[in-house]
Amino acid sequence: MLEIRNLWVSYGGLPVLRDVSLTLARGESLAVVGESGAGKTTLGLSILGLVEGECRGEIIWRGKNLLALSEEELRRLRGREIAMVFQNVETALHPLYAVCDQVAEAMVVHGLGKGEAADRALALLERVGLRPDRARAYPHQLSGGEKQRALLALALANDPEVLVLDEPTASLDPRTKGEIVGLLLEMVRDRITLVITHDLAAAARLAGQMAVLYAGRLVEAGPAADLMRDPRHPYTRGLLRAYPHLATTKDLQGIPGRMEHGVEGCPFHPRCTQRLEACAVRAPSPVPAGGRTLACHRGGIVPLLEVRGIAKSFGAFRLLRGVNLTLYEGETLALVGESGSGKTTLARIVMGLTAADEGEILLEGQKVEKRTPEFYARVQMVFQQPGESLSHRLNVLQAVKEPLDVQQRGTEEERLSVVKRVLAEVELPCDDGFLKKYPHQLSGGEVQRVAIARALVLEPKLLIADEPTAALDASVQAKVLKLLLDLQEKRGLAILFITHDLAVARKVSDRVAVMLEGRIVEEGPTWEVMASPAHPLTRSLLTWAGPQLPPAWARRGSWPAHEEFSGPGRPSAGAVSSR
Amino acid sequence: MLRDRPFATYVLAVFVILSLNFILPRLMPGDPLLAIYGEEALLAMSPELKEELVRRFSLDRPLSAQFLAYLAALFRGDLGHSYYFNAPVSRVLLGFLPWTLLLTGLALCLCAALGVVLGIESGARRGRPQDAVLLSAALFLGGFPDFFAGTLLLLFFGVTLGVAPLAGALTPYAGKAGLSLVLDVLHHLTLPLLTLVVVRVGPFYLLTRNTMVTTLGEAFILTARAKGCPDRTVRYRHAGRHSLLPVVTAAGLQYAHLITGALFVEMVFSYPGMGTLLYRALLTRDYPLIQGILLTAALAVLTVNFLLELVYVKVDPRVVRAR
Ligand code: SF4
Repeated sequence: MLEIRNLWVSYGGLPVLRDVSLTLARGESLAVVGESGAGKTTLGLSILGLVEGECRGEIIWRGKNLLALSEEELRRLRGREIAMVFQNVETALHPLYAVCDQVAEAMVVHGLGKGEAADRALALLERVGLRPDRARAYPHQLSGGEKQRALLALALANDPEVLVLDEPTASLDPRTKGEIVGLLLEMVRDRITLVITHDLAAAARLAGQMAVLYAGRLVEAGPAADLMRDPRHPYTRGLLRAYPHLATTKDLQGIPGRMEHGVEGCPFHPRCTQRLEACAVRAPSPVPAGGRTLACHRGGIVPLLEVRGIAKSFGAFRLLRGVNLTLYEGETLALVGESGSGKTTLARIVMGLTAADEGEILLEGQKVEKRTPEFYARVQMVFQQPGESLSHRLNVLQAVKEPLDVQQRGTEEERLSVVKRVLAEVELPCDDGFLKKYPHQLSGGEVQRVAIARALVLEPKLLIADEPTAALDASVQAKVLKLLLDLQEKRGLAILFITHDLAVARKVSDRVAVMLEGRIVEEGPTWEVMASPAHPLTRSLLTWAGPQLPPAWARRGSWPAHEEFSGPGRPSAGAVSSR
Repeated sequence: MLRDRPFATYVLAVFVILSLNFILPRLMPGDPLLAIYGEEALLAMSPELKEELVRRFSLDRPLSAQFLAYLAALFRGDLGHSYYFNAPVSRVLLGFLPWTLLLTGLALCLCAALGVVLGIESGARRGRPQDAVLLSAALFLGGFPDFFAGTLLLLFFGVTLGVAPLAGALTPYAGKAGLSLVLDVLHHLTLPLLTLVVVRVGPFYLLTRNTMVTTLGEAFILTARAKGCPDRTVRYRHAGRHSLLPVVTAAGLQYAHLITGALFVEMVFSYPGMGTLLYRALLTRDYPLIQGILLTAALAVLTVNFLLELVYVKVDPRVVRAR
C-alpha cells in the first residue's frame, strides 16, 4: 500500500502541491487528472523522491516515509520498487544509446550482471512489442509508439510494485494510443499504478479511481466512472465540459478565468460560480461524501431548484402527476416531451403563474411559498412567444429596464448603464435609436433577444426557457443558444430548457428529463440518454430528431483491432463526421 | 555544425586554399616574381637564376598553364625554394612540422580532456562555489595572450626555479636514444604545452559546462535518475556523453586557434616548430617559405577537422542515418 499523507511541495517558497492525501492499494490504479500546472507531475516525481523543491508531509511505502530517506536509499528504490514513465516520449530516451542498452542499464544499476541484463532487456522489449531488431535501434530510429513501448519496458525492467505513468498517451496518434492503452492495462495488473493525465478518456480506461487536482489541491476523488458520469465538484464538471470525446453532445464550454496558484481559501473560488464569502477565506478540506472525497464548502455543486411531487389537474384531466426534478447550479436541464405533456405548465408553476394542486418547490434548499421580488430576482423566464414577455406598448429601453424599476435597483443612470451592458451581452445595439424602438419594429430574433435581456437584467441564477428558439430561423436560433451557453459559462446560470426538439436539447444540455403524460419517464446525462435511450418515447423523439447518432461501435466502447481498419470501408457517407 | 559535411566539401576547401595560395602573389601589383621572392632577394639574383625562376613558375605562359604547372609542382611536393635556407621549402618544412604537430596535437587532446572533465564537474555543480571558482579561473586565464602566459611560465619555471629548459625541443648533441630521448622531448615540451593548455582550455571547459547545464535539464536525465542510476553514472554516462557532442564539433575551430597560439608560444620558447620557422622566414622575407608554412598550417587544420568529423560519426549514432 502506498499512502500519501498531507503532502506539501513548494518550489522556492511557492507551494505547488497543498495538503494532498491519497491512498493506493495493490492492484489499484488511480488517475490523477487536472489541467497542466495543477501539480500532477510534481505529485508523481515526489513519490520517486525526484522533486527539486521542498516537501512536507509523508509518503509511506512499506512502513517507511520516503520523504525522510537518504538519497542513496531512494536511489535503491527508484526503478526497482517504484518506477516512472515520463511524459515527453520524444526526449525521455537517451539519444546516444541503443534502446536495449538503456533497458539493460536499469537492471545493471541495481546489481544484475551485464550479460543477463542484456538478455532480459531483449525479452522484455519483445513482450512490450519491440522485436530484437527494433530493440537494438537508437531512439531516433523509432516511432513515437515504439518509443513509448521502450519507455514502458524501461520502467518495468525490475518488475516494480509501484508504477507512475506521466501522460502515457499524450502526443500519440489515436490508433497507437489505443494499442498503448491495451498494453498498459495488461502491464499494470497487480501493481500500484498512478496515471497522470489530462486525457480523461485515457484516465477512464486505465484507472478505476480518479483524483482531480486543481492548483495543487485535491478537489474531488472517487471511482472514475462515477466522477465522469456525475461530477460533483464545480471544477470536475468544468473539466468534463471542456473535454471532447466522441459521445459529447453539448457544445464544449470553458471555465471562466485562469488557474492561479497561491490563492487564499478554496483554490477554485475565483472561477467558481457558486462561491460564498467563506470560500475566499478558508480552504475546504477533502471530506468523504457518498463514496468519494470532495473538497467544497457547499458539498459540491448545489441543487438550485428542486421540484417535488408537483401535481396539477384541470377538471378531470390530470396534466401533471407528481413530477420530481432537480436542477443544479450552472447546468442546463432539458425538459423534453411532446406538446401537451405538461412541460409548460410545470414551468408556469415554478414561476408562480399557475398554482399547483400538490407538491412543493425549493429554491436553494428553501421552500418557496410566495413569489416575492427576491424570488424573481433569482428566477426569470423566457417564453416561447416573445410577445408573452414583452408588452407591445413598451419600447426596448422600457421593457428591459422595467424589472430594475420594480426591484428599485440603483439610480436612473445606473439602470440605464445596466440595460446597455445587458443589451451588449445579448449582442444587440444600445444606441438611442434602437432603445426607442417598439417590438413591432424589430425582427423575430431581435425581439427574442430583447426578451432574454429583460430576463437577464436582474442577473438571475436560474432561467426557465420555454421553447425560446422555436419561432426563430436556424441561424438566429444558433446565436441565441450560444448566447445562453456563454452566460452559463460566465455566470453559472442554471437553465431549465423546455423543448420538444431533441436535436436542440442535445447541443445545450448537460442532462435531459423526458416527460410523458405528466410524468418524467427518463432522466440522465444527455450523452448517455442520446446514445442509449431507455424509454420508447425517447427513442421515437430521437428518430424524429434526425439520424445524427454516433455509430454503434462507439457505444460498445471497445477499441477496434488492427484488422478492422483494413476491412472494406463504407463508401464516403460513412466518413462524414458524426456531428 | 560540422556533421553532414560531405567529403567533397573538404576537397573543395583544399582546392580553394591552393588557388588562393597561387593567385594572391600574382594579384599583387608588379612582377609576380617580386611578390613571390621579395625585392631584396630579387636584387641579389643573377639574371640566369631569374630566367630559371620565370621558367619554373611558367610566368611567361598564360595563367591557366601557370596554375597547372603550380599544381603539378605541388603534387611533386615542390613548394619552391627557400632563399634563406637555400633548400627546397618542403624539406625545410619537414624538419619543423613534426614538432608543431606534436605540440598542438597533444595540446588539443589535453585541452579537450581537461576541459570536458572540468566542464562536466562544474556544470553538475552549477551555481555552487566550485563552479564559480572554475568559471572565473577559465575566464581569467582565457584572457591571457599566449606569448604573455608563455613568458611568465618561462621566467618562473625556467629562469627562477631553473627546472625547465629555456629553449629548444631536445638537448642538442646529447646523443640520447630510446626512453631517455622520449623523456628529454617531454621535458622540453612541458612548458610550451602547459602554456597552450592553460590559455586554450577555457573554450572547451566553457562549452562543456554550458552544454552540461542544458543537458541536465533534459528529460532523459530524469529517466536515468528514475532508473536508479548513481550520481556519477548520470553525470558521465548520461549527461557527459551528451555534452561531448558540441565539444567534438568545436574542436576543429579550436585547433585553428591552437595553431595560431602555437606560433607565438614556439617563439617564446624557441621551440623548433613552424612558429619559429615563420618568425625566421618573416625576418628574412623568405616568401616561398612563408607561403609554404601558411599552406601547411591551413592543410593541418583542415585535416584535423576531417578527422574530427570521423570521430563525430562514432559518437553520435544519429549522424549515420543523416548521411
Ligand atoms: S463553492 Fe466554494 S468551496 Fe466549493 S468549489 Fe466553489 S469556491 Fe470552492
